[in-house]
Amino acid sequence: MNKQIKVAIVGQPNVGKSSLINAMSNAKLHVGNFTGVTVEKKEVFIKSDLFDIKMTDLPGIYALNTYTPEETVTKNFLLNEQYDIILNVVDANVLSRNLMLTLQLLDMHKKMILVVNMIDEIEAKKGSLDAKKLSILLGIPVILTSAKTSQGIDEINKTIIQTYREKQNDNKIYYTQKVEERIKELTKTLQKSPHFKDENYARFVAIRLIDKDENIYKIIHDLPIFIEAHNVLEKIYSSLTTELDEDSTADILSNERAAIAHNLYIEAVHIKQQDKSLSEKIDNILIHPILGLPIFLFFMWALFQLTFVLGNYPMNIIGDIFTYTTTTLAHILPSGTVNSALTHGIIPAIGAVVMFLPNILILFFGLNLLEQTGYMSRAAYLMDGFMKHFGLQGKAFVPLVSGFGCTVPAYMAARTLKNPKDRIITMLVLGFMSCGARLPIYILLIGAFFSTHAAGNVLFAIYITGAILGLIFAKILRVVLFKGEPEPFVMEMPPYRLPSYKALYMDLWYKTKMFLKKAGTFIALAALSVWFLSTYPHNGALEKSYEIKIQHTKNIQIKKQLQNELSAKSLEDSYMGHIGKFIEPVFKPLGFDWRMSVSVIAGLAAKEVVVSTMATLYSVGNASNTSKGLIQKVRENVSFNSAIALLIIIMIYSPCVAAMSTFYAEIPQWAWRIFYTIYPNVVAWLFAYGVYKLLGAVGH
Amino acid sequence: MRTRTISDLQISQEATVQKVIAKEPVKSRLFAMGIVKGAKIKVLEHTLAKQTWDISSNNTKIALRQEEARQVIVQ
Repeated sequence: MNKQIKVAIVGQPNVGKSSLINAMSNAKLHVGNFTGVTVEKKEVFIKSDLFDIKMTDLPGIYALNTYTPEETVTKNFLLNEQYDIILNVVDANVLSRNLMLTLQLLDMHKKMILVVNMIDEIEAKKGSLDAKKLSILLGIPVILTSAKTSQGIDEINKTIIQTYREKQNDNKIYYTQKVEERIKELTKTLQKSPHFKDENYARFVAIRLIDKDENIYKIIHDLPIFIEAHNVLEKIYSSLTTELDEDSTADILSNERAAIAHNLYIEAVHIKQQDKSLSEKIDNILIHPILGLPIFLFFMWALFQLTFVLGNYPMNIIGDIFTYTTTTLAHILPSGTVNSALTHGIIPAIGAVVMFLPNILILFFGLNLLEQTGYMSRAAYLMDGFMKHFGLQGKAFVPLVSGFGCTVPAYMAARTLKNPKDRIITMLVLGFMSCGARLPIYILLIGAFFSTHAAGNVLFAIYITGAILGLIFAKILRVVLFKGEPEPFVMEMPPYRLPSYKALYMDLWYKTKMFLKKAGTFIALAALSVWFLSTYPHNGALEKSYEIKIQHTKNIQIKKQLQNELSAKSLEDSYMGHIGKFIEPVFKPLGFDWRMSVSVIAGLAAKEVVVSTMATLYSVGNASNTSKGLIQKVRENVSFNSAIALLIIIMIYSPCVAAMSTFYAEIPQWAWRIFYTIYPNVVAWLFAYGVYKLLGAVGH
Repeated sequence: MRTRTISDLQISQEATVQKVIAKEPVKSRLFAMGIVKGAKIKVLEHTLAKQTWDISSNNTKIALRQEEARQVIVQ
């Protein structure tokens, strides 16, 4: 086996780390323009002749002062894990700001490589960056790259191997004299302890302590050297702030880093300042004080219209294919258990789910596009003033909007919220944002009870109503359970960028694969059990009596009717019928029959299963039970009022098991977990009941 | 003269940061975004009710609330 080189990829958010990795090794990573998309730690492996390189893509951080949970992840990795090289990625356009983090990383005195990304954008502006000069000034290798044009990408691997083999340079950053004197003093004190024998490490700890780093302070707090070091530190705090007339030594170090970074920038980069960037011109319209909000709402509305109207065409084709397959198979296969399981259970169930793939892909495509172009953070800017009224901040808008795609990543995206209260409120109301998997149910019910003309508007209304309910509940939670200050709002707005087609395509391909895999395994299994539960036990006597009756009739019409009657009666006698009857009292006030009750419960496993369960349960005596057949069946068996009640239940009640387990993983407190598990279902039922009664009262 | 903060500026007005009086952790975040003493900033937009501000500094665009904008003293 080759020797492994461990590389930690570190950079501020929006420097294009993920797209750089995509360009480097065909790794599948989600690329986004919004601050903090890379929530998870991701690993990439590259094989070369002599070495295996293992790269860990760490969440973007602005500084070593941790602010968000993601930054804590990155900092903990940098401080505690084993790695050989730090690969620091910076954006050439905002080099001086990015270099402030670089300087903090250099304090760690590890082997380091600086990757200056998006160099093509500097060159496009007729600017230049002197990599050699920057490399000499920093004492580490500097590579100029562009993920877009693949410039410099091959150089990264070579430089990693070379850096790994060579001895480490002395790449220390020196501060101004007054600060350096204090660093030396504290370093000497720390070195008295056996924990800080290494001078470079002692220096790093000293700098972090003067920078008021709480994590590092906790480390020395438990060591015998603490009292002595603490006394020296207190003296430094007071003398340095008095001499330099600043509030805190952390401010002093920040000012110094900013000055050093600015000087480095001036030395290395030559570019003419442009009067007004394209991004600013676009923003003049898109975040215009008056026009901004209507434009944003139009984008959202257009996205949902596209999802429904455009998605309708492939949806019908897929539906027809599945219907054809089922009918053909039913004829070819010998009749019996296998035939029945396939043509009544699995295939129609999968068909009923796969049909919605086009809709889901269009919606995801749109959301990804908004994210990658950088518009998503503008949306957060536009929405903050509004969200503030509901006790949320503009940034919470992103997890909430992601919730329209899938609740699972949305829960993770909520990590970008620093304040635990803000985070938990956002996560508690996230379920109100209808996820993509609920779309099939909406489409089915809308298809059954509304004209194609009104469909787009009804769907839009469902999503908006869910969102408004979510906001109202956020406010209630904020007032009742979480008093106190909302989280401060300071957010970078990355420049507008053309989306990377590769990233868009990769993401959609990944989503398709995941969706089909889910449909192929989990949903097929669920469908199979629903089929089993609804087919067994066989009632021999009943079947026999009907068979005789059927044989004795000549009239085809009556024959068919008898067949349907038999299927319905067998279903009622089945295990499924018993389960449905058992829970029926809960849903009875909403006018649900046992089939609807079972479908709702099945939806807790996965929302896709609701449609497939209905497909199985309503498919009585009919082989063609995908889309059109099912819509017909639902229309015949469900009243309008109950359908609306079902829509409301689906809109509000607990998300799927996958989402619920994500919530449990993110929120350790049992009180919140229990609250989260119960309240949506109670609220869903109460709302559904209210609307059901209201519709009844107005004479529907 | 009364101290001026970002929230007193007009759209497309420029200024130099004199002091950041925000508390932690907002202060560190503002520093990391390049809002440090001596940095030149420009107000690009604000929402209708001046609830949210869009400013630029060193090619970086930053969105902040009125509350935070009031905590950056400018000249």
